[in-house]
Amino acid sequence: MIRTVVTGLGVTSPFGAGTKAFWTGVAGGTCAIRPITLLDTDGFRCRIAAEVPADALAGSPRRSRADRLALAAAREAIADSGLARADCRDAGLVIGAVGGGMFEAEKWYWARTRGGAPVDAASSLRAVLPFSHAETLGKALSLGGPRETVVAACSSGAVSLALARDLIEDGLATVVVAGGADSVTRICYMGFNALRLLDPEPCRPFDRERRGMSIGEGAAFLVLEDAEHARARGAYVYAELSGYGITTDAFHPTSPHPEGDGMVRAMRGALSDAGIGPAEVGYVNAHGTGTPQNDRVEARAIARVFETGEPLVSATKSMIGHTMAAAGSLETVATILAIVEGVVPPTANLCAADPDVTFDCVPGTARTAAIDCAISNSFGFGGQNVTLVFRRS
Amino acid sequence: MSGAATRRVAITGCGTVNAAFVGGVPELSTYLEHPESRVRAEPSTEPGLVASVDDRALDGLTDAGDQRRVSRISRFAIAAARLALADADAPPEDLSLVVGTELGDLRSTKEFANGFLERGPTGLSALLFPNTVMNTMAAATAIAVQARAATLTLNAPVVAGELAIARAAAGIAAGRFELALAGGVDQIEPITELAAGGDARGEGATFLVLEPLEKARQRGARVFGEITGWGWRALNAPPCGVGRAEPPRAVLLALERAGLAGDAVRWVYDSATLDRERDDWERALLDVAFPHHPRRVSLGRWLGRHGGLGALSVAGAAWSACAGRLPALGGAMSADRGVGLVHGVARGGTHVALVVGAPLP
Repeated sequence: MIRTVVTGLGVTSPFGAGTKAFWTGVAGGTCAIRPITLLDTDGFRCRIAAEVPADALAGSPRRSRADRLALAAAREAIADSGLARADCRDAGLVIGAVGGGMFEAEKWYWARTRGGAPVDAASSLRAVLPFSHAETLGKALSLGGPRETVVAACSSGAVSLALARDLIEDGLATVVVAGGADSVTRICYMGFNALRLLDPEPCRPFDRERRGMSIGEGAAFLVLEDAEHARARGAYVYAELSGYGITTDAFHPTSPHPEGDGMVRAMRGALSDAGIGPAEVGYVNAHGTGTPQNDRVEARAIARVFETGEPLVSATKSMIGHTMAAAGSLETVATILAIVEGVVPPTANLCAADPDVTFDCVPGTARTAAIDCAISNSFGFGGQNVTLVFRRS
Repeated sequence: MSGAATRRVAITGCGTVNAAFVGGVPELSTYLEHPESRVRAEPSTEPGLVASVDDRALDGLTDAGDQRRVSRISRFAIAAARLALADADAPPEDLSLVVGTELGDLRSTKEFANGFLERGPTGLSALLFPNTVMNTMAAATAIAVQARAATLTLNAPVVAGELAIARAAAGIAAGRFELALAGGVDQIEPITELAAGGDARGEGATFLVLEPLEKARQRGARVFGEITGWGWRALNAPPCGVGRAEPPRAVLLALERAGLAGDAVRWVYDSATLDRERDDWERALLDVAFPHHPRRVSLGRWLGRHGGLGALSVAGAAWSACAGRLPALGGAMSADRGVGLVHGVARGGTHVALVVGAPLP
């Protein structure tokens, strides 16, 4: 049986460039949600987001913002893994994406519709579709293996890692670079405003006074590898991706099933795939958006799965906002580093936990804990539920 | 979700809504026996040629609730999915869904943005916003057919449908999926600046029902094809561009999985859509892979490029394998039954190959 391990990490986050900056930020409980600078917020209730600083982007400014976020993270992951160029030639690439280059396309469309300074259509639309990231990264990093772009709304980054594991375990690739990327866009910002799901203050997952989410942006990529291949080349192994579960609510376009049935099936399926019981899980990195509905349903689902266990649960979005397609892979990095460092990052901005929450949400300050096994939850529009299981290797 | 077993992959159903016909395997067979091109010059959607679906084709396939709640492109997907499940007479238990698309629901995205541009924040529609995310067709379809296992939306130019079928076949073989609806959907894009290459654009949806061959036979299902090999890779090409002729590794992988040599392939359903530069590249790749020059069929020349085309090509290949016929304008012609290849390559280098044959004992 082929096992899949993680041998490289790369992050572009609202804390700046690099995995180190990201981990320092989340382990320190630092909130990176600030006033929006990239979008016009006139007329909107919420005017904050977690934006990535300009100096963290890689590549030419002619590329889309999301491509540049992705490129920086993927380059770091490959360098971190110590992969040789020859290994990259057959390496797969699986990207979770939602907005693609919409940030640039919006500039063109706004100008075309409203008038004003003309914006070049070709350069603005070149990368508008989500698959553009894969074409850009595939060419720039010379990745010649299987290439896929998966769109699963807010769980896209997590699905990319699950699909990468399939490629390795089916023998279709030995090494896969996988993860998610998204930049802030007007469509996303306006859409969540229209749904009245944004908190005007930084989001407070699992807090009794929570009022909604905060949007963010970023990218995280991981190098996943056949464990035997990693061992043979002497690679450092962060953790094993030992199982996953993907389910669909088939209930509502935006709302989760009220009892969290799909979430429960995803978590149980992932644990079963990994061959472990709930009691072995020491940490749950929750989807934890900060919306009243998501957190209530997720808390209920976690309680159903871990009825006899007491894992620590925290929400990374309290610090970096909801980074959409990148969320699943960014939170995976936090989950893996919690295992490696023996430190569970906190839930920031949490003053008083909701009475529905029956578990320890690690409020405010990171917790030292020996974690051998942890899961990362990601849930998205369309009732898309994903749970990933990581174990100390 | 991991699967150690390798199971044979049966095709037991097909449902399609496209510019030429609507239906399941019988309607597909009728069309392929006497195909005609539905690609037309359409001045209002310059540039290029289009093969569009008459919305009346959806009458009876989507109900009033669908028409009120979901967008046009999602109605294509729902209709094709229902047709495929009915065609396979498959119980929708443990159903996975793999949807390939190139453009998603850009019409809704444009409409959502227009709401703001015309009326400011009060013009934004909370109902339209979910349609701006490309998995909206999969979400609507999952609700319509109660697909509660994994749902995936794969985004790729030209080959999204082929990729979805390959993903689903791999999932069935490995034991990750027990029953899968796989295929794709697109609609003709109103932002004409996105059109590139001047090729024929189409629209519609096609889904196939895939399941383990053994299970299909146990439940007495009609098996009209078997997918015996698949592979997908990236060829060296710049974003939106084409590459050179090189050994097409996706083809080699698919043949290896099927246990076949290249000369066993008697015909190829390719991904040509009148984008001359891309079509020439594909021809060169196939010439490298198959020096014996098997006959080629290009459904995209008649129905236009869209996410459902790959699944339609796989269904067509299964028909050819069973019937010993190859579709051609003016009437189908005889061909070896044998096995065939479904081949797709996109600008940017995404490359997919599937080996399709008639089901053997």
